[in-house]
Amino acid sequence: MLKDRHIRTTSYLVKQLPKATAFLNSELEVAHASDKWIDYFNFEDRNVFGRKVVDLFGAAGKAWQKTFKECLKGISSGTTVEHYTNTDQKECWFEQTIIPWYDEQENVIGVIFQIEDVTESVVHQLELDRLHLLYNAKTEIAKIGSWNYDLADQKLTWSKMTKRIHEVADDFVPNIDTSINFYKQGYSRNTISMAMEKAMREGVPWNVKLQIVTAKGNVKWVIAAGKPLFKNNILVGILGTFQDINAQVIADLKTKESERLLKTLIDALPLNVFVKDLNSNKILVNKAGCEYLGFKNPNSLIGKNDFDLYPKEIAQEFRDEDLQVMNSLEPILGKECITIKKDGSSTTLLTSKIPLVGNDGKASGLVGISLDISELKQKEEELRDLINVTSLQNKKLVNFAHIVSHNLRSHSANFSMLLDFLVNEENGEEKENITRMLVEASDNLLETLENLNEVVAINTNTNLVKKPIMLNGMVKKVTQNLSAFLKNNHAKIINDVCEKVVIPVIPAYLESILLNFVTNAIKYKEPTRNPIIHLNCSFEENYMVLVIKDNGMGIDLKKYGDKLFGMYKTFHNNKDARGIGLYISKNQIEAMGGKVTVTSKVGKGSTFKLYFNEKN
Amino acid sequence: MRKINTIYIIDDDPITVFGIKKILGTVVQCDTLATYGNGKLALEAIQEHLTNELAIPDVIFLDINMPIMDGWQFLEEFISLPINHKVRVNIITSSIDTADVENWEHYRSRSHHLITFNNKPVKKDKLDLITKLA
Repeated sequence: MLKDRHIRTTSYLVKQLPKATAFLNSELEVAHASDKWIDYFNFEDRNVFGRKVVDLFGAAGKAWQKTFKECLKGISSGTTVEHYTNTDQKECWFEQTIIPWYDEQENVIGVIFQIEDVTESVVHQLELDRLHLLYNAKTEIAKIGSWNYDLADQKLTWSKMTKRIHEVADDFVPNIDTSINFYKQGYSRNTISMAMEKAMREGVPWNVKLQIVTAKGNVKWVIAAGKPLFKNNILVGILGTFQDINAQVIADLKTKESERLLKTLIDALPLNVFVKDLNSNKILVNKAGCEYLGFKNPNSLIGKNDFDLYPKEIAQEFRDEDLQVMNSLEPILGKECITIKKDGSSTTLLTSKIPLVGNDGKASGLVGISLDISELKQKEEELRDLINVTSLQNKKLVNFAHIVSHNLRSHSANFSMLLDFLVNEENGEEKENITRMLVEASDNLLETLENLNEVVAINTNTNLVKKPIMLNGMVKKVTQNLSAFLKNNHAKIINDVCEKVVIPVIPAYLESILLNFVTNAIKYKEPTRNPIIHLNCSFEENYMVLVIKDNGMGIDLKKYGDKLFGMYKTFHNNKDARGIGLYISKNQIEAMGGKVTVTSKVGKGSTFKLYFNEKN
Repeated sequence: MRKINTIYIIDDDPITVFGIKKILGTVVQCDTLATYGNGKLALEAIQEHLTNELAIPDVIFLDINMPIMDGWQFLEEFISLPINHKVRVNIITSSIDTADVENWEHYRSRSHHLITFNNKPVKKDKLDLITKLA
């Protein structure tokens, strides 16, 4: 009875144990068990007492059976941690303790089986291990070391990485002074000293980029950070990190240097350089490009496209080019194009467009380079004009040389022949005849020389000054001077030249020209009718045109067109024709920067158009 | 003395005409010696003679620079006239322009007539040499 009571008491004691504990007898039947134990295994039938563990746990019980049996022999397996996957597929961990149950005589009378759920603490431990690993890896990769300063014992500790960054041995013992002395003298050391002092005094953390000189004498860039630690508002220490960023800073500096070099280069280039994105919006424009477009700040051009900067048609042309380059990935090189800016000014550009190809092999934009060759073009044009003028002059010169040589040669041939005759002639009368012809030849030669001289004077006397002359007034003056000649020929002059017209001319030339054309019109009149000469004027491009229309005999231009203005060319059976007038007039007109054209119909009359250059 | 039926001088310069005539008198005997002041007058005369089946010149002295119709224009017309016998055309000019020489070669190659190019002055020996039947 007493024993029974003892067992019950024991049973009740065990029931209340705060741990999941069961006492198994030598038959491995549950003798005592704490509520926790019953709860832990969540048995359907809470009355587990007297039941065999094998029955209670099934398969798992069999695994334990061996351990229990060993334990009954006095061999303890102690405490082990096991894990299993529960019905929710969750990893669970428990700590089991299986030890022998002794009586007062130290006989094994059963097994004490205690179990505790340690899932949470195991998970925490695993997480801690993982974080620790991660921390070490990160420290290694990012080269971040740490340090800790304990104010109480004034002890500074450096992490392994911090020591490695300082290039000191692993057993190096730092203190505040030595650590500050690692910073490069000057800015870096001053900054860290001030930061540390401020942290100690005001509790302000720091994070600065500075240079240190390592134990081995290498200069390194580091990020030093420190955070004061407080306990009950009292500073107890400083916790900090120390990161080696030398490689990054060096790379950064190099990149910046390359960038600066590139920017200087692009900006200094006397070419318009621009970069466009896929939509042809500008994402970079150099200095020259800005100036060309009349912008001071490159930023005000960023994001703009050609439609913002050029007239629509030109912008569309540019956009089409851009698309062509970006789609085909083929650059356009050295294309010449005439561009009109929004302000209306026209320039000639020599443009190249090169596709910018991204990692995906597709165009991400383009680089454009254009050279303003307007000035060059203008020079080229001027040069071409000059060449034209020169070749024209040359042609005239050759022509004139031929005229001179021909005329002089024909005279000298005559002299030579006549003199030959004279020497051999015996007949006195014939001698006189020949002498008379020699005199005639001599007169002809003189006249020819005078004519040639006149032509030379026109072409060489380039410093004769042009003066503005009223055209109408000059026509009137010439008509006045010719009044007797006109009257004798029953000629009529109709002067329809606008009274206001003033042209820059060499007055003597204009007078000579008018005189020549008017007298020609009368000299070559159609015999059956009285001459009528009609003068009027009109504008044609850069020229003031004087039109002289007559009703004379006209001229077959098919036959004589190319000779009409030639020297010593006459086309009519006219005794007065010397073949010099039109030649001189033409030379005079050309000397004033003008030209002359003619239309004519045989038997009807001729119309001469005299072009006077408006400009000087 | 050599005898030539008809000779034409086509030149607007009276002194040259005088000279040629004077020398001709000393080198050949000639039935008809006609002078024309330009190509047109000479061409008209030849055309008229052709129509009336009259004598066509055997030798022509031709100047180049003349009014109305110059030597080249005359040649252009002349070589297309239906003249069967070979006529000697002596160009007499003071021109040394290469373009004139090229012109001469051009007409010479296109015609069955004998066309020569002579620079002034033409002295007696030279004239004697070129005043022959072609």
